[in-house]
Amino acid sequence: MSAAAEVHASDGHDDHGGDHHELGFWQKYIFSTDHKTIGIQYGITALLFLAFGFYLMMVMRWSIAYPHEPLPGWMSWFLSDEWKSRWLQDGKVTGETYNMFGAMHGTIMVFLGIVPLGFAAFGNFVTPLQIGAIDMAFPKLNMVSYWLYFLGGLVMCGSFFVESGAAKSGWTNYSPLAGFADSQIVNQLLAGQTQWLLGMVFLISSSLLGAVNFLTTIINLRARGLTWMRLPFFVWAMLVTGFLLLLAFPPLEVAAIMQLMDRTTGSSFFMPSGLYSKTAGLLEASGSGSPLLYQHLFWFLGHPEVYVLLLPAIACVAEIIPTNTRKPLWGYKSMVYGVIVLGFLSFIVWAHHMYLTGMGPVVSNFFQTTTVLISIPSVILLTSMLISLWGGSIRFNLPMLWAAAFIPMFGIGGLTGLPLAFNLVDLHLHDTYYVIGHFHYVVAPGVLFGLFAGIYHWYPKITGRHMNTFLGHLHFWPSLIFMNLLFFPMLVQGMAGFHRRWYNGGDAYLMEKAEGANIFGNTVAEWLWLNPVMSWAAWLLAASQIPFFINFWSSIWFGKKIKNDNPWDATTLEWATPTPPPHGNFTFDVNVYRGPYEYSREDHEGDFYPQWEEPKRDEPADEPAEKPVS
Amino acid sequence: MADSVEEIKKAQKLYILIGAVLFTFTVVTVAVATQPWLDFGGHGFDMADMTIGLLIASVKATLVGAIFMHLNHEKKLIYYVFGLGIILALALMGLTGFHYIDPLEYGNALEGTGFFNPANPVDD
Amino acid sequence: MEIPYTFTARKDTGLFNSKIGIWLFLASEVMLFGGLFSGYVFLRVYADYPWPERALPVLPGLINTFVLIGSSVTVVFAWASLKMRQWRRFQFFMGITIACAVVFMILKGMEYNAKWHHQAVRMDDFTILEGHTHKATLDEHGHLHGIHHGDEVPGGAFPQNVVVVETEEINLTLVRAHDPYVEDILEKAMARGATPVLKDDAFFYGAPKDMRFGATAKDIEPAERAEGEEKLRKAHSSGNHTAVKFGKKSLFIPKGTPLTTKLLDQAEEVFLDARSNNGRVRTDALRREWKRVRSEFPDEKRDYKLAKEIKITPELLTGRVAEAPSALTFAFKEPVALHFKRSVIREGDGTSRLKDDTILKGKVASSPLGLSVDAVDLRWVAQRAEEQGKDPDAVIAKLWIMENPGFKEIWERHSAQLASLEEHLTEKYGLDEHGNPKRVPTENDRYRIDWQDLVAFHRAHEKHLDADSPEVEDLRPGMMEGITGPDHKNPEFQHAFFSIEVPNEKVAFESLFTPKWNHYYAIYFTITGLHGLHVVGGALVLSYFLFFSKGLYRSNPEWLANRVEIGGLFWHFVDLVWIFLFPILYLM
Repeated sequence: MSAAAEVHASDGHDDHGGDHHELGFWQKYIFSTDHKTIGIQYGITALLFLAFGFYLMMVMRWSIAYPHEPLPGWMSWFLSDEWKSRWLQDGKVTGETYNMFGAMHGTIMVFLGIVPLGFAAFGNFVTPLQIGAIDMAFPKLNMVSYWLYFLGGLVMCGSFFVESGAAKSGWTNYSPLAGFADSQIVNQLLAGQTQWLLGMVFLISSSLLGAVNFLTTIINLRARGLTWMRLPFFVWAMLVTGFLLLLAFPPLEVAAIMQLMDRTTGSSFFMPSGLYSKTAGLLEASGSGSPLLYQHLFWFLGHPEVYVLLLPAIACVAEIIPTNTRKPLWGYKSMVYGVIVLGFLSFIVWAHHMYLTGMGPVVSNFFQTTTVLISIPSVILLTSMLISLWGGSIRFNLPMLWAAAFIPMFGIGGLTGLPLAFNLVDLHLHDTYYVIGHFHYVVAPGVLFGLFAGIYHWYPKITGRHMNTFLGHLHFWPSLIFMNLLFFPMLVQGMAGFHRRWYNGGDAYLMEKAEGANIFGNTVAEWLWLNPVMSWAAWLLAASQIPFFINFWSSIWFGKKIKNDNPWDATTLEWATPTPPPHGNFTFDVNVYRGPYEYSREDHEGDFYPQWEEPKRDEPADEPAEKPVS
Repeated sequence: MADSVEEIKKAQKLYILIGAVLFTFTVVTVAVATQPWLDFGGHGFDMADMTIGLLIASVKATLVGAIFMHLNHEKKLIYYVFGLGIILALALMGLTGFHYIDPLEYGNALEGTGFFNPANPVDD
Repeated sequence: MEIPYTFTARKDTGLFNSKIGIWLFLASEVMLFGGLFSGYVFLRVYADYPWPERALPVLPGLINTFVLIGSSVTVVFAWASLKMRQWRRFQFFMGITIACAVVFMILKGMEYNAKWHHQAVRMDDFTILEGHTHKATLDEHGHLHGIHHGDEVPGGAFPQNVVVVETEEINLTLVRAHDPYVEDILEKAMARGATPVLKDDAFFYGAPKDMRFGATAKDIEPAERAEGEEKLRKAHSSGNHTAVKFGKKSLFIPKGTPLTTKLLDQAEEVFLDARSNNGRVRTDALRREWKRVRSEFPDEKRDYKLAKEIKITPELLTGRVAEAPSALTFAFKEPVALHFKRSVIREGDGTSRLKDDTILKGKVASSPLGLSVDAVDLRWVAQRAEEQGKDPDAVIAKLWIMENPGFKEIWERHSAQLASLEEHLTEKYGLDEHGNPKRVPTENDRYRIDWQDLVAFHRAHEKHLDADSPEVEDLRPGMMEGITGPDHKNPEFQHAFFSIEVPNEKVAFESLFTPKWNHYYAIYFTITGLHGLHVVGGALVLSYFLFFSKGLYRSNPEWLANRVEIGGLFWHFVDLVWIFLFPILYLM
């Protein structure tokens, strides 16, 4: 048969480990080329960054809820007096600090937290297992990806401690705002804005290498018999995500390089003529640059990036639902085609982030149309998962809880996005908390819930032990409540017109004549009482993550041991490996005989029929095992 | 793959030929751009020269892709991947370039003399 | 453990791993360069100034195109040789490929170097001058003396592109002062025999040990303060000469202390300490105030209403805050002329500011920018005139540069030649139905005089040709004269170019031909720079195949052939990008 068989045959014996020398600590845990170790490295690093990003947000929420009070000790005791005297005014969060934290919160959450957790960690650990591969196609490249990511993260976060502070021009880093910020620093390498860009170049390079690796692995290392339509949906989602990263990130790299040029060589790609700032005076540059060009290049990545965040979460949920409803995933094929169409469309909707820039109606109409179109595949995905629940005898274990919560939460996130697709509505809503609420509904209770589901689901495969159920519930229910308490009021405030960038919680709306701030001033003022509500929800949400961290670390040693290698009675290939999977993953020659979600088949005893289980002689074969794919 | 030794031997002549064609096209491009006796369109540099230069460059690029990079006989998968890249790059270029088109205010750029500078709206 | 399909193709996809990998990577490269080209298109289409057309010398680009195409052919041959198992032949062709890469980078380096030594100036009337800056020296008073081309250049001369400030005082911000700048100022001042010294006594009052509320803090009464100051002075005069530490992080720097970077560091340290202390104290005070206000108005929940009751009175802080100046002023006995590169200084009336917020008090001396001009571009002047509905020629006639007799003569020659060109075009191509000539001179012909024109004018003058003689066109230097641009060392050209000193106040914007000058050069350096990095990276990989792969060839020649194929694909892509770069950057 194919060469794969030979390699696997020569490779997949029990004595496999014997003919390799033992790797030292450094090679085994730090500079490992094993996709599972790298996945775990990504996961833990990303969780730490998520926690850091969350902290930044808590400080911001303080500034919004209590703008006149000093930051309380429990949020600032570990900061040095020198740092505090530079960045806090009488202990209060200043506008500059708020901007810095805001910009870094966005950047860290998106680029250092969720993408590495969803795509890199789960993708790395689960994908090769699910396709029956022994490792990624390019293991060394995989290691380089991780370390580039780590380096990028360090450079970015290190900038909190330089004199200029970290980047402070929003996570989008729009020029000319970003061009002016920190421009007073003589040695630009020590300016936070520049370090943000450098970090970005590292992160992008890491993502590009990762994407090449993932795609090659999925295309070329599938096990024998694992045809395209037998791939678990998880793998499909990773495939599409890989393409998004591969083709959407380079324009951002271009934007980052051009902005780096603006900062270090004095060019003015993004700096228009005649710019004047109070601190720097008239801009001494050639001018005539185009801030719009930056926005185009940024959002060409920015929009696909949303799907890069989202798809891994949907992927996790799509694995967990059939496993716990003991039913096949409803509409598997339409989900696959849906996700491919979604991936393609996500490349041509980017300018709906830019309606406010005054683009011409031709382009605007084009983007409105594509944006509305993209809701179709999204709805297909969500509906399929919803219908998959119908008539199932659902096991409400921890992963399933999160997965079940994901569906309505992401639903709210998606539906609140529809009004923003239309230019006219967006003009009002764009700079308000409505957009923040919408986006966070997608990413926090949406994506993060999906990823938590994934963590609870695959934890037994990684460690051989279950996570504690009680602590899991203690994590889930408060998280669900506080997430909604945190983000739903944002939609309300936003529709009232509350501006999204005000660091002091909208003090301007409370002036004698509130309409002086904005025509919606009085309306907004009525809703300002929600500020402390949301802030407290945010801090309690942080507290609700404590059980998770305890659970995550303690279960490694104290969790309930799993009964066998396939504790959830699942059908996909990752459950066919020993636990935890050894170097080389599989102990037998992997052959796939059927689709990924063969639950409760009437012609088969037992309620699940794993992909790797050889059919009995009298059973009819499902479909031809080998099918040329291209 | 047409990578057998005989076919490669045969292909070598083709490689030389393509190399020669590329050299010639380069010379033609430069001549069109610099020589007064080969000036297309109006006097000096204009749209016509630009179009010709880009056309020749596209032909050259196609030759390099098709022959040197063996895209004339490649697997479908690679066409998909590379094609997707090119389509999206063109989408980025086009949609970005058309940002300001407004048929009402500036006239229709597609019918007019080219792109319109928002700083100089055309009077009717 | 071995990853499958590293060098054998998988049956159903027909591809081995790295081939899929490289094509995926190339697709992302298409997006990378696609993004850069989008930038180019966008910036060029929406530029609000005349775009520099065909600004680069063609020859290096042309040679580089040949070199890259040639290397593309040889790399295919290198791969074919491996497929046919001919190691020597592979070495030969791969060697040529790498040599081509080296030639490419050398030419690129020469091109870059020429740009980095070429100066451009935009004047306040939008005249653009290009050329080489004169060298300049300073006299004993620190005033600028330009050295024109042909004059002997003494040692220590620098480009005449500086601003001279007759500095009386320097105000340095402690946290921002950039050490290299301070050192530079000190060095220049030393050369004039002057030293900046502290203008007034500087007291840094550290705070008493524990400043927290609730702790027993000792307040400093005014009388105590005077006593403290006396102590500081005494300690100083009794032997410690520059600075004295007193108590916990206190510092006294007496008037007249000379400026050093060490002194600044010391002061900065104490300042930061004081700032930390004050931040802590003020935060504490604010917390206590909130506690008080909340207990006083238990029914009021609204933060902003309570905020009105918060009052941090000076009494609350007395004795707890440290006092430290954030900036120090140093003075010269008499004004000293210091010169700074234009890019680091923002000169102003009486006070100038360096990039690190150092403020220089003193008037700006005459600091003309001396230039040996090899091109004059009036297209922007003309464009602006047309935008304002004025006659461009009338506007040009009133330009400052027309007062320069050298240029005036050149402009007359240029006008005569332009008229001759117009006539020639009408003669050759005729008139259209409206009676207008079918072909007319371009904006470039009309309003730009480049170095070839200057040389042609000079040669015509030497040969006593008439300005409008058609032969003048033939005297333009060809591609080979000045491969990377005007050669200012060529004595003939030196005579063709003219010298000018642009007064400081007329310089609106100046730059070398770097990304700073305009978008064309910005995009040129960005794209070719990235492309150059690709060339270097590709060449390194190919060199590895050439020099370190004999072993692999012996054990698994097919694998090596596949690797070379992958490297070759990348190399072709680099060539492919250049095929577009060449016309776009050099010919358009």
